[in-house]
Amino acid sequence: MRNRIFTAGAGAGAIAAAIALAGPAQAAEGDAQLSVLHGVPGLTVDVWVNGDRTLDDFAPGTLAGPLALPAGAYELAITASDAADASAAVIGPVSVTLAANGNYTAVANLDAAGNPTANLFTNDVSQIEAGKGKLTVRHTAAAPAVDVLAGGAAVVSNLANPNEQTLTLDPGTVSAAVAATGTTAPVIGPADVTIAEGTHTVVYAWGSLADNNLQLAVQTIEGLHSAPGSVPGALDGSTVGAASDPAALTLGIGAAALALLLGGVGVARTVAARRAE
Amino acid sequence: MKAGHMKKGPTTAGESRRRSSVVSGGGVLLAGALLLSSCAAAPPVPAASSVPSAAQAAGQAVPAQSVPAQPVSPVPAITAAPTSPAAVPDIPVRPAAPEAAVAAPVPVSLTVAGTPINMPVVPVGVSDSGAMEIPDAFDRAGWYRFGPAPGAAAGTAVIAGHIDTKSDNAPFSALKSVAAGTVVEVGREGAPALKYRVVSVELMAKDRFDGSSVFRRSGQHELKVITCGGEWLDERMDYSDNVIVTAVLE
Repeated sequence: MRNRIFTAGAGAGAIAAAIALAGPAQAAEGDAQLSVLHGVPGLTVDVWVNGDRTLDDFAPGTLAGPLALPAGAYELAITASDAADASAAVIGPVSVTLAANGNYTAVANLDAAGNPTANLFTNDVSQIEAGKGKLTVRHTAAAPAVDVLAGGAAVVSNLANPNEQTLTLDPGTVSAAVAATGTTAPVIGPADVTIAEGTHTVVYAWGSLADNNLQLAVQTIEGLHSAPGSVPGALDGSTVGAASDPAALTLGIGAAALALLLGGVGVARTVAARRAE
Repeated sequence: MKAGHMKKGPTTAGESRRRSSVVSGGGVLLAGALLLSSCAAAPPVPAASSVPSAAQAAGQAVPAQSVPAQPVSPVPAITAAPTSPAAVPDIPVRPAAPEAAVAAPVPVSLTVAGTPINMPVVPVGVSDSGAMEIPDAFDRAGWYRFGPAPGAAAGTAVIAGHIDTKSDNAPFSALKSVAAGTVVEVGREGAPALKYRVVSVELMAKDRFDGSSVFRRSGQHELKVITCGGEWLDERMDYSDNVIVTAVLE
């Protein structure tokens, strides 16, 4: 029997498509971008797109892409690495529809019960406000719901496979750990995760709790930065003007603290919450 | 919007695993940082330097023996000429493990020949209002730390300072008068100083501020030294323009 689970990721496709200017530049106009992450431990595979072997001997913990693909429907299949064709899939085949200018990551992973499956996540490639970075955490591991801890405090709570949550953060290096929901004993990490300004960093928890091989995978989508709105070079009057705020100067430099912008938690979070089972 | 696609069927992980052969990693495509192709001008990122440089391009790493010798219908390898609409180019593959950030040398001083501008530079970010932060002190300049650093391969390094104090002009007030060819020197932490030469001085109206051109992250590397200028507008409590000096590496 084949696993046919193919869950869509965030429903932000329309948004992503509308603001795709910032996406990877190698694509032809309107192409969708598809990355593929292998998150099934111990299983080297081939990945087939529309019956063509597209990734050969694809190993766990590796990320491929992005592939630039014209918008449309594709059939993805994952086979053992020595398969002659895509007929004996171990995951799939699954049909996915890629929107023009959409940005996606297809993940081969274990479901919460430990069965190989695949998920298609839609990556938010909207522009990020100047001075911020975006972090999305995706649960693609054979494990119960988890909390993501940064500096010991939960920044993502009760995240279940295959859901995701997105945060907008100050750039820096976050010491991130993953723990069972409601606990603080790490089952992954702590590991340093870099949140770069103008970059959407996507962290996947993958592997199996029962097999003691949970780990993190990281994908970065760059080029989503915005420019500051102005350069306020006047000091006269600045103490009464609203435009400049010298008091805020340099305070955040180098700080690794997660400053959660509650208002900045975006579409993906909402969607993830809606999708929670 | 894809929720309707969800299907669930019996799953047999054990069977899947039995059917798969676990091969050694010999043919694994470790193509390093090639994934990060979207924005060559972005500030240095982990993968740029911490991924083994020996990694091969993905398409070259396909071991011949991994493709079945006698398929009924030939299976094109990744490197084969595209044969279908969905044919893919060489696909970069990299380990997805977290990587440490690598920082570029930070500018620490700015000198503009023939002016009083000779001051320390500190990294700055963005204020709550979305403006570039500027050091409060009139004798210090700020470098926009989220953009390219001086000496970067591409994009603009932006250093800005106040034109005045509450009672007097600051060194940056001399910026509007520098001539083309003026030497601008940027000292860096842990790296040699850089010498730029001014190629242009322009006024940009603040109400038509073109942030994407001033704070470029791709294209030719330039240094932008910025302060205020034009007229003081009482009603705005601000100057009308920015003075933008553009300099290129000598």
